[in-house]
Amino acid sequence: MKKLAIVLMVMTCAFSLFAAGAKETAATGELKGPGKVTLTRLGYNAGFDVNKNYMVPIIEDVTGYKVEYFELPAQNADEKLMMEVASGKEYDLLNLSVDQWRTLVGSGALLPLNDLLEKYGKDILAGNSKETWAALSDDNGNILGVPYMYPYDTEVSNFMIVRMDLVRAAGINEIPTTLDGFYDMLVQLKRYYGDRYIILAGPYRNAANGSNSLSFPQIVSSAFGIYNDWMVDEKGNVQYMSEHERFPELVSFLAKCAREGLFDPDWAANTTSSVTEKFASGKAIIASSDRNLAQASIPALSTSHGLGPDDFGFISALEGADGTCKYMESTSIGKVTAILKKSKNAADAVNWMNTKIQNQLYINIGVEGIHFNYDAAGEIAPINPIFADERGDSFYYLDVTDADVFKTEWPSRIRKSEAQWLAFDAATMKTNANRPQIFVENKFAYMPAAESFARYNTTLLNSLNDFVLQVMAGTRGVSDIPTYIRDWKNLGGEDVRKELAAYLATK
Amino acid sequence: MRIKPQYSSERGFTLFAYVFMTLLALVCILPCIHVAAKSISGGTLVVGGQIFLFPKQIQFDTMGYILKKTAFFNCLKNTIIVTVLGTFISMFTTITTAYPLSKPSLRGRRVIVLLYVFSMVFFGGIVPAYMVVNTLGLLDTYWALILPFAIIQFNMFVVKSYFEGIPESIEEAAYIDGAGDVQTLTMIVLPMSTPIIATVSLLYAVNYWNNYFHAMMYTSSSSMKTLQVYLYDTIENGQALLENLYGGAFGSTVGQSLVNITTGGIVAAAVTLSIIPIILVYPFVQRYLIQGITIGSVKG
Repeated sequence: MKKLAIVLMVMTCAFSLFAAGAKETAATGELKGPGKVTLTRLGYNAGFDVNKNYMVPIIEDVTGYKVEYFELPAQNADEKLMMEVASGKEYDLLNLSVDQWRTLVGSGALLPLNDLLEKYGKDILAGNSKETWAALSDDNGNILGVPYMYPYDTEVSNFMIVRMDLVRAAGINEIPTTLDGFYDMLVQLKRYYGDRYIILAGPYRNAANGSNSLSFPQIVSSAFGIYNDWMVDEKGNVQYMSEHERFPELVSFLAKCAREGLFDPDWAANTTSSVTEKFASGKAIIASSDRNLAQASIPALSTSHGLGPDDFGFISALEGADGTCKYMESTSIGKVTAILKKSKNAADAVNWMNTKIQNQLYINIGVEGIHFNYDAAGEIAPINPIFADERGDSFYYLDVTDADVFKTEWPSRIRKSEAQWLAFDAATMKTNANRPQIFVENKFAYMPAAESFARYNTTLLNSLNDFVLQVMAGTRGVSDIPTYIRDWKNLGGEDVRKELAAYLATK
Repeated sequence: MRIKPQYSSERGFTLFAYVFMTLLALVCILPCIHVAAKSISGGTLVVGGQIFLFPKQIQFDTMGYILKKTAFFNCLKNTIIVTVLGTFISMFTTITTAYPLSKPSLRGRRVIVLLYVFSMVFFGGIVPAYMVVNTLGLLDTYWALILPFAIIQFNMFVVKSYFEGIPESIEEAAYIDGAGDVQTLTMIVLPMSTPIIATVSLLYAVNYWNNYFHAMMYTSSSSMKTLQVYLYDTIENGQALLENLYGGAFGSTVGQSLVNITTGGIVAAAVTLSIIPIILVYPFVQRYLIQGITIGSVKG
């Protein structure tokens, strides 16, 4: 740990040195044009050969630009990125996570794009909202990156998947929509099956989100009006989840379920893989889930247990006894593509992205009649398996989209998997159709880079998750909440709150 | 051959040793068998955690996916190039450094040895190393993975110690017969040093083959990935790889091959395929590896 800290410190020093020099480097804004330059793009780790993928010639044909793709490693990606930038590598485009982008903004290594976007990126500018551009600009109004917006604003991404064949056998025919109904269902299943099955396996912490996800089901906290770690109360004050007036009730409920054996006894030790394994092998009746778990486990159970679509149920955000139900919107900036000050082809990089946005449907979804058709409702229905074979990997090559248009195109990418679509339709689309009022705006979706947030927030979230798990395990209780909050403040909670409140005041 | 009669306490210890060593061997081998079994078992059983030691519903779709759809062969090629070329270069630099340093008559020998010891104990750190590799224009090339390990001081000292153990009279005889330094080294000393050359070559080869961290830091393009980096990336991205297949359909409406390809299966197949070259080579080098451990313990 100490060694790692030293390495990071040295890297930071090197990075600062580079940043000082980079500020003086002016990039050329001259367009060389398609075919006259080879662009270089550094992105996250894909797990496949990104230069030999079928998407490369497709994009080259459309844009006329040859592009060489580079990847960050799966491990130590942030450190490697800093090293590459600090050592003066001249990538034209950096496809970054929001946190990585924030780090580079602080270093001054990124090129302001305002002029280039005005000249060569009109479709990029028009395709995204003013709020998004404000979030990607510094205090002087310099745009330092282009956004890839998460393409669905109101997705119930964390739901529960249920074995309806077992639930029906226990005398339950309906999927619960309220917290009481949910609890009654768990109790009835426990009474009927005893220890034969795990009643509810979890938590499911999406691997992509890593430590940024919660260690308990969000569709349960929704019934207490708790929808995120950071929230804004009715008076407009920024509050942390543990400060919410109903947080004690939430943790008490979770502890009660754990105590009564309704939750998997291995809850604290479970990983994404072990939860998937328990549900897919038929050991668990219900699992905390997202679309990926559904995709992995439904085919397995349908083959091994002969289950059909009707044998799976999905529990969406639950309502409290008083009708409370809050679930946070999924609006967020998913990725940011930035251009380094050192890039010699900045104008062409912007031009390349603009050409891609002009051909968004073709590049990402394909050709009507070959890769997709429009169904009766006018939605895009992918033609399988050619859609997956020829457009399945297009997500990796996305830099920027026309956000509103892509919202209508993106669901087709889920639809290519019957299992994912079954889950998405039940948990998200039906909730949107029947209970759109449950979604709460993410007030911080467009918040610009903030130092304390970047520094402390992951630690705060880990601390919150640990505390809830300890309460569930019975080693701590509701009476420990004040102590926990004191510790939370020492971990930088107040500093983050100040930043969030300051941002909120500007809105 | 008659076995010497043993006292009961000796017999007890022998029995204990056999049981203990058997258990230890099982602890080492069982995970490998488990992973190999998963790599060729039916996808539904893999996802369901129902594979232990023996494969069930044997299928090769996952292996086929790894071999055809991922960059496995390219990464294997890179690793073999780096290992073979690197081992040759390292052995050249090691021998040509160790031989002169083994001669007491070499002027400044103590200072040179001290410099090697110093650089062995005090490593400059990954950032300076990265800067050097970058400044030399080696990033994203095979040389970035070879030249930083062109000589490992510890290996050089082991070879030097071995050379020091060769009787001086033999070399003197060669000189009397008219051999020069190079001839003496190549025609007299090296043929007498095959055990140490084989052992140190093996140590270098294992180092190059297993090198993950530097390969990860010094390469960025997918065409330059080595097997270790590929393995880590595959393990990390198993879920993402699966998401883009036409997966997640009900058994009745999709070919069995796609049901077979699962995250766990992809990881198991990648790991299994990547250890096959080592398994093939190991029987031929095992003897030298044991010798190497012995030499290291006596002379190191």
